[in-house]
Amino acid sequence: MRRPVLAVHLLLATGVLATACAAPSAGPAAAPEQSWETIVAEAEGQTVDLWMYGGDERGNAYVDDVLAPAAAELGVTLRRVPVADTKDALRRMLAEKAAGETDGDVDLVWVNGDNFATGKQAEAWLCGWSDRLPHMANVAEDDALVREDFGTPVDGCEAPWHKAQFTFAYDAAEVTDPPGTFTELLEWVEANPGRFTYPAPPDFTGSVFLRQALYAVAGGAEAVPTSFDQDAFDELAPELYRTLRDLEPHLWREGRTYPRDSAALERLYADGEVDMTMTYGPATLTELVEDGTFPATTEVLTLEEGTVGNASFLGIPATAGDAEGAMVVADLALSPEQQAAKADPGVWGQFTVLDTGLLDADDRARFEQLPASDVVPPYDVLSRGADPELSSDWVGPLDDGWRREVLGSGS
Amino acid sequence: MSAVDGGARRRRTGRPAVHALDVAVLAWLVVPVLPLLVWGAASRWSAPAVLPQDWGWDGWRSAYDGGLVPALARSTVLGLAVAAVATPLGAMAGRALGWRELRHPAPVALVLLAPVVLPPFSVAMGLDVLLLRTGLPGPVAVVLLLVVLALPYTSYTMRAAYAGIDPELEEQARTLGATPRQARRRATLPAVRLGLLTAAGLAFLVGWSDYVVTLLVGGGRLVTAPVLVGATAAGSGNEAAVAALSISSVLPLVLALVAGAALQRRREERA
Repeated sequence: MRRPVLAVHLLLATGVLATACAAPSAGPAAAPEQSWETIVAEAEGQTVDLWMYGGDERGNAYVDDVLAPAAAELGVTLRRVPVADTKDALRRMLAEKAAGETDGDVDLVWVNGDNFATGKQAEAWLCGWSDRLPHMANVAEDDALVREDFGTPVDGCEAPWHKAQFTFAYDAAEVTDPPGTFTELLEWVEANPGRFTYPAPPDFTGSVFLRQALYAVAGGAEAVPTSFDQDAFDELAPELYRTLRDLEPHLWREGRTYPRDSAALERLYADGEVDMTMTYGPATLTELVEDGTFPATTEVLTLEEGTVGNASFLGIPATAGDAEGAMVVADLALSPEQQAAKADPGVWGQFTVLDTGLLDADDRARFEQLPASDVVPPYDVLSRGADPELSSDWVGPLDDGWRREVLGSGS
Repeated sequence: MSAVDGGARRRRTGRPAVHALDVAVLAWLVVPVLPLLVWGAASRWSAPAVLPQDWGWDGWRSAYDGGLVPALARSTVLGLAVAAVATPLGAMAGRALGWRELRHPAPVALVLLAPVVLPPFSVAMGLDVLLLRTGLPGPVAVVLLLVVLALPYTSYTMRAAYAGIDPELEEQARTLGATPRQARRRATLPAVRLGLLTAAGLAFLVGWSDYVVTLLVGGGRLVTAPVLVGATAAGSGNEAAVAALSISSVLPLVLALVAGAALQRRREERA
């Protein structure tokens, strides 16, 4: 008689296997010292799996239609793996690392901030390679935005890809007298009840709004230490939460509820339920206005004191199976041709990480000839007086405090 | 089956309350899908407009550009692979449970139910490192894990199917001269055919609709329809593309269901 023991055996077998497997030894992963020529030669024929957030159609199209064909010319096949959240890529990398994998399926990740810091702490990134990329010569030596990623030293563990600026946008048809500072923004919210809200932290965008507000209540970015400091937190956070609690009754739906994420806020703005939105990726605004998702009267709100800015990067996991190919792609992505193509508002509109002053005349011309966006001002205008990001150690306590003090206050 | 019974009862009693309930249930199922259908043919639709301001097929184009067709093909292969393994396993388990061939059925029944109790996320998170260490290729590991998740559905469906027929059937075939293999193939399996179809359909759905296991255990090799939907839905202004993706992942299933039901009705009429 046949019995259904197969499934039971299967379950038991996995259990035995789990106990039998010892954890592999961990250690920092440094890229081997190879000449760039060797790396390029080894890269040929490799398939690079680039894991990236897939919710940005223009970003997807840029990688598929511009970057991948250019990589193919170098003999590298670039495959895009779309994920809903970069944390999915991190989970896979950490699992591969825990399993002692050396031919992993994640070769390149679009990453920054918290995800980078988590991976670095777990020694899950390949390090010491990005400084050796030939095109790094065009990145300014003293550019703090690309040497540190949310306060975490980059240490050659990721190559800069583009810069971003936290940006408020408003509907000029509704907001006739736009605020010029963060404090004026708060006053505007009080004068126009129900027309403003922000995504609930720990959403990425809600979280940066919190840090922007912290700078405002502290009296400027320089008043907040970059690396996390409990004393500074205890001194500054209560004022921040009090300000946001006072703001709550004037928010959309009297602050009884907050948009779940930035996509939800952007929906509210698109539907005309609020008059302002905010994004860490102003590049997307051009298309959202163009395709009619956002009103044609959408304009960027520039704050006198500047807003928070960051850079995002391409990281290579220590477990990557095609690390050489990934380095070649990361270098290609840094080339003036690719950076200029990507900065075109009609392509993706992402701000370059290159210092155009370091480029020769021909390459500089690529950037000077870029068409202007109808919505988003150029980077030098947008980043005027830009504030540095706080260390990612700040993010957790600030977000947790907001949940407790603002969301949980029940006012 | 039960729908037919319900129809017969309704015809006898004819109470309007029953109709109202039917309509309510139908509305509950269908109304949430309507905006999706409208978005499938819209290029701009913002509140408070009841209908889209601009109609168009933009969503379909960007879904196509995003890799809709290969994603659907991968989903199909994954669903078929899961069904191909989980259905025979489920039939074996269901036979033993349904025909009470086990001395201690309770522990086996519990183990078989366990994957439903655990959220797929925790199953994937717990087993991904382990499966990596076995060195199995990602897609094989995905099928293995999804089979475990599909087993409760297939084995419980098959348990009901076997419980509905008499074990004597096989004995009779044997006394008429059939080998054990022939008896199973010619007498028992045709009798549980509907159960097998249902079980295979459910197992197919497990593979077709999975996100977490496919992505984390598959290592990104399998960009299936749900992976594409998840990634696309994470962004703003993608409603039309998400609608196009969702409709194309649901429509084949609805068509298969309708076709299956029609086939079943024809067969019953012929009988």
